[in-house]
Amino acid sequence: MTIRNTLRDHGQRYRPRMACLKKAEKLLLEMQDPKTGVKSQPQRLVITTIPHAITGEDIIAWLADRFQVDTQEARNFVSMLVALGYIYPLQDHRRLVIKPDASLYRFQTPYFWPTQQWPVEDTDYAIYLAKRNIRKRGILELHEQEHYNRLHKWMNHKWDFVVMQAKEQYRAAKERKKPDRVVFECQERAYWVVHRPPPGTVSAMDYGLDRLTDPNADEVTGLLCCSFKHYTPLTRSLCFLCSRRLVKYCSTYKSHDPFLSNCLPSNPWLTDDATYWSLNMPSVEIPTKMRVERWTFSFAELLSDPRGRDDFRLFLKKEFSGENLAFWEGCEDLKWGEAATMREKAEHIYKTFLARGAPRWINIDGKTMEVTVKGLKHPHRYVLDPAQTHIYMLMKKDSYGRYQKSPVFKDTVKKAICPEEHRYSDAQLQQNAKKRRPSLSPIILRQMEQEQRAKMAANVDITQVMSKLSKQGKEAPPPFLAPPLRNKHKRVMFRDFYRRI
Amino acid sequence: MPLVNNKVGDDCTDEALADGKALVDSLIKVVACYRHLASCVGGCTDSLQLREELRQTREKAQMLSVAICSHLTSHLRNKRLPEGQRKEMELLWVAFSSSLELLHGDMCKVFNVAEIFSLANTDSLVQTGLQGGGSEVAARALSLPDLNRAQSPTLPAGLESQERSTMEQEIGQIEHMIDDMEMKVNVMRWMVEPHGPQYTDPLSSTDSASLALLSVDEEQPGRQPLCQRSQIFVLLLMFAVVLVAATLSVCVVFFS
Repeated sequence: MTIRNTLRDHGQRYRPRMACLKKAEKLLLEMQDPKTGVKSQPQRLVITTIPHAITGEDIIAWLADRFQVDTQEARNFVSMLVALGYIYPLQDHRRLVIKPDASLYRFQTPYFWPTQQWPVEDTDYAIYLAKRNIRKRGILELHEQEHYNRLHKWMNHKWDFVVMQAKEQYRAAKERKKPDRVVFECQERAYWVVHRPPPGTVSAMDYGLDRLTDPNADEVTGLLCCSFKHYTPLTRSLCFLCSRRLVKYCSTYKSHDPFLSNCLPSNPWLTDDATYWSLNMPSVEIPTKMRVERWTFSFAELLSDPRGRDDFRLFLKKEFSGENLAFWEGCEDLKWGEAATMREKAEHIYKTFLARGAPRWINIDGKTMEVTVKGLKHPHRYVLDPAQTHIYMLMKKDSYGRYQKSPVFKDTVKKAICPEEHRYSDAQLQQNAKKRRPSLSPIILRQMEQEQRAKMAANVDITQVMSKLSKQGKEAPPPFLAPPLRNKHKRVMFRDFYRRI
Repeated sequence: MPLVNNKVGDDCTDEALADGKALVDSLIKVVACYRHLASCVGGCTDSLQLREELRQTREKAQMLSVAICSHLTSHLRNKRLPEGQRKEMELLWVAFSSSLELLHGDMCKVFNVAEIFSLANTDSLVQTGLQGGGSEVAARALSLPDLNRAQSPTLPAGLESQERSTMEQEIGQIEHMIDDMEMKVNVMRWMVEPHGPQYTDPLSSTDSASLALLSVDEEQPGRQPLCQRSQIFVLLLMFAVVLVAATLSVCVVFFS
């Protein structure tokens, strides 16, 4: 039994976004003023008239006038109010949007305002569904049926109470006059459309995390500022450095942030068009200009983007130093992979990259090699960390700079596409919303990734290996054939060492 | 009070069970009516009378709760209660605690809304579209045939703050009762099984008038002319078909 005590909250959990809701409520009170508020008209139904209906265009005009903003801005604002449940539509009640025409809306009663109880109680929802079911059997929609069944299973112990309460509320409603009964039913229905939206609609009532501080309380100003004086010079300089870095980061990534600037072609969350995601898939042929620009920000960015890594790999292949990247990837795989296969992976990496006479030998300094080889006797996840760091710094200082000047990169930059921005009309947005489909399952994506990785591992470029070995002056045979006699003692040594691991 | 709590109930009879059931039923009725009244607070029908009705309903609910609390507690603490009776009592207990929760929630909401909307300033009351008051609902809650409408025309100065402090006290009392209940009697909710089926029978199949009003609500005004146009079109088509059939038959008769 959970009791939500709004009085005994002890101020320890502040509901998210309550601050903005309280501001919306103040605005709503202004709208009610009979002289300066939104003008209302009666709604004519078949046998009765219900007052206090307002048209969409009136609300938008009033808001535009009140805040001195343009119509589009006012419209966005009002649609937020509708989505939060402060104003509900009288026609087409399932879609919580504002239509800038003569469609009718009405104000929601304060009892049903979202600040009263957020998140809503499931018991109330169960009673509401039971009430509708009692009124007419079979009126519940599919998602409501599912909710009903789920609540019946979960709240089984109080189901008698739920049904009795529903019946009593129904009987009490019958005592009221007919127009009032209709209004109350509309209010309740609107309340539940906001808080238990039908599937496929976007809800404005995402609860989010509980906040630790009350955003409505007085700000604690001056505390941080006055203690800054007491910081040591070292701390102060560190603060400045951090803030400078932050400023630099913000100014670099400002145009790439989907909140601060436009996503090209359009933000899929806003327009329901997934072109942006399909253009930015991990293994797409032609990347977008923004993506390529991000690769120039830092080496870490280049490596973390799979397409960037592919490009870099291509460049390194041309330079015959692909083993660095392959080694780095192998180390990553070891670090983040499963514990069961760790041992084999470590051995494989040693055999391929670190051992003397290895087919893709990497160039690390003697001390690091010593430390790594010693660690490989008892391999663990981070045994190759020193070597990996060394190779990473090598790539960053040396290859990265050359990559940015290379024809491979220049070619990619030239071919990169810059998609046109979408401009959808309202009707098209609605169409897009209807055509929404789920994207590829992450399981399938992971399988595709694994297949690709296996293909790459199988396709280790033999010619590259051979040329590398010839560069080193060794005449070691390709790894698949039997080695000649003169390398036998080396193999023996290697075997002994291998046994000792 | 302590004496009553320590006293363990006598051998439970069906009468006690029936009493308990009647009390719980009336509490559920009062809570349902309170909810209807609470939904009007802050709206255009908010008035002193509504607040008065809310207060009276609240008092009745509290009176009933205290009675049920002592009745059920004494019986459930009786270790010699037979198993069947105990199950029934536990069911009543669950219904009682759920009603108390609902009542507590509604009271908190009314308290919050009353803080925002003061009756002294009627301009800012939300225009919800309601026209009548909740007198009939309150009469149902209090089981009176008709509430006498004794309404004080003026708002005394300190009345609202006094009412608020009273409400705070009452909310505190309900919380205390809920806590007390949990401490005294341990009812395992997962063991409680309800009687009723998942889907109950509709109460009345003839009351579809409000449904009809609501469904009319749904029709978009833009669709009206279109419907009329399509109807006219269909009529014309039928008329033309009838005309053609008539001419054909006349021709057939004429030429045969």
